[in-house]
Amino acid sequence: METWRLPLSSSIRGKLISAGYTSLSSISSVSSTDLARDVKITESEAFEILKMANQVTGSSSCNGRSSSLVNGARNAWDMLHEEEALPRITTSCSDLDKILGGGISCRDVTEIGGVPGIGKTQIGIQLSVNVQIPREFGGLGGKAIYIDTEGSFMVERALQIAEACVEDMEEYTGYMHKHFKASQVQMKPRDILENIFYFRVCSYTEQIALVNHLDKFISENKDVKVVIVDSITFHFRQDFDDLAHRTRVLSEMALKFMKLAKKFSLAVVLLNQVTTKYTEGSFQLALALGDSWSHSCTNRVILYWNGDERYAYIDKSPSLPSASASYTVTGRGLRNSSSSSKRVKMM
Amino acid sequence: MAPLKHLEMENSIIDECFRDFCASHGILTVEDFLLHDLYELAAFAEREANADRLKEGITVMLSLIELQCRPWLNGMELLEDLQRNKHTLSSGDNGMNSLLQGGYGEGQLTELVGPSSSGKTQFCMRAAASVAEKQEGSVFYIDTGNSFSARRIAQFICGGSDAAALRKRVLSRISCHTVYDIYTMFDTLQGLEVALRSQVQMNVNEYRLRLLVVDSISSTITPILGGSGSQGRALMVALGYMLKKLAHEHNIAVLVTNHTVGAGESGKTKPALGETWKSIPHVRLMLSRDNRNSNCTISILKHTSMFLCVFVFFIAFWPNSEDHNSLGQSTMSITNFLWSSAGFT
Repeated sequence: METWRLPLSSSIRGKLISAGYTSLSSISSVSSTDLARDVKITESEAFEILKMANQVTGSSSCNGRSSSLVNGARNAWDMLHEEEALPRITTSCSDLDKILGGGISCRDVTEIGGVPGIGKTQIGIQLSVNVQIPREFGGLGGKAIYIDTEGSFMVERALQIAEACVEDMEEYTGYMHKHFKASQVQMKPRDILENIFYFRVCSYTEQIALVNHLDKFISENKDVKVVIVDSITFHFRQDFDDLAHRTRVLSEMALKFMKLAKKFSLAVVLLNQVTTKYTEGSFQLALALGDSWSHSCTNRVILYWNGDERYAYIDKSPSLPSASASYTVTGRGLRNSSSSSKRVKMM
Repeated sequence: MAPLKHLEMENSIIDECFRDFCASHGILTVEDFLLHDLYELAAFAEREANADRLKEGITVMLSLIELQCRPWLNGMELLEDLQRNKHTLSSGDNGMNSLLQGGYGEGQLTELVGPSSSGKTQFCMRAAASVAEKQEGSVFYIDTGNSFSARRIAQFICGGSDAAALRKRVLSRISCHTVYDIYTMFDTLQGLEVALRSQVQMNVNEYRLRLLVVDSISSTITPILGGSGSQGRALMVALGYMLKKLAHEHNIAVLVTNHTVGAGESGKTKPALGETWKSIPHVRLMLSRDNRNSNCTISILKHTSMFLCVFVFFIAFWPNSEDHNSLGQSTMSITNFLWSSAGFT
């Protein structure tokens, strides 16, 4: 239990240690006025330090004999049931859903990257519409946050996809009416657009500030079930002289997204661009932002062209095998490339 | 070093008179006490009125200081400790076991380094499943990237007649904790240490903790490393030492994962976290994935008792539900070639 473990600024920490307070027990036995006098800091700072020290000692001394060794750890058996019951956001393309194990999973950070024009923004818009499919139709019934850094979100396209989604739901209800009694489709395309929270970000500082603010925003709007960032790379590719600083900022942002995903059980989808890398004597396409960023997501999907068809490939996943599937972008949104029928199977 | 007056709370012998006596000899902190000539101090104490109390105070101070340093061990004791307490844990994969001559060592910090999607998390989960199932121990899994998948671990468990009950037993021995920054990591490890120490005192015979996995340690350290000041590096080294101390004192195998970064001009990738971290793990294994086929290679970068060795294996994912060893089938011929080429026949 040492003082250097407290999250303090280095100057205050230096003063604490040179005054002799190297262990937390020595801090907790002192009043804040004495501490302020000994260490030559203001009394409010001393009070903060004492509060932090008490929190740390309090949390580590009440770990008795809970069955999981540390408070807050969870059993894999309980997690198994939770994982199996976790809802997934469909992409409206059943081949893609199949390789994703049912769709984009909540509580995960998924990175989707590809060459320009392959359909990343289309997937983003499709997901922000699909997350709002009500529970009766197999969806999540939640809202979406769309963070746009490039300005590629088109409202007309979102309206088009929303209308197609509502039409499909009505067709499905009509089908179900013949066999079972199903509820009426209450949603209108306008409602779908109302539930997409759109943020336009123009610099990397705005992006970082927005990510920090998201925690508060989502606590106030508890229905948000997906956060889409299109694209996460744009502001970090230029204007950064210090690459080490960029790595630090990016890894911290990645951790914040992970924390958001876990805390609120939502899906985070990050869209990424590509760059060329010179490896083993040839130029290859790789996702932008470097090697350190490639570890900051839970799942990764790479979109690429194969002849005339668009393909998606699962590059990284803790529990899904590597597989690829093809999809197309139609007027109604993302669909299977092989099917020519207009009806889409709902889950 | 702490001023002497802070020790009064727990040791009432170090009271006002003792401190005044020490102050009269220029001793205000513990550091001064250590630097002073203690025989001379005892001789001066004899001349005072309350000589016994003062001498008792000096003895208490000395015993407190001794508590802070670790006990001496000679070679025989170390060897005994090694043979009695520190076994090797099977990693769950035959290839890895034969490479490491048994598996991950208890009391050692093993690091898995590799580029993205080379299989590091799979190895961690495989080790967790194997320890929980076959070695009857419990596993503490610290996850920083939401990549712990209970479903995947359930696949690693061999089925049997009572597959569901076995799965429940095995999975309930694995506990997972999510950590997103370094300070929470320290708190978690501190809590773990306290819990382990209290378990030792109570002699609880539940499944004892045998494996600690931190996946991945680099994502918690990278945000603080670099920049002005060496605070980040200090925290990184402190974390490494804390893990090694946990491993040694409680006979746990610690497994951490690290990622790779490009090495600039030479073009090859090297492990992240820099030169300072290089010397901290006992065993460093580098995983690399061949994009054309799904072969993966593990090579030993550093091992406290083995030389450099390379091993090739296959990752076969998504087995049928009855498949047991879904991770890795070894190619023993390559190992034999390497061993013989190094002079071992």
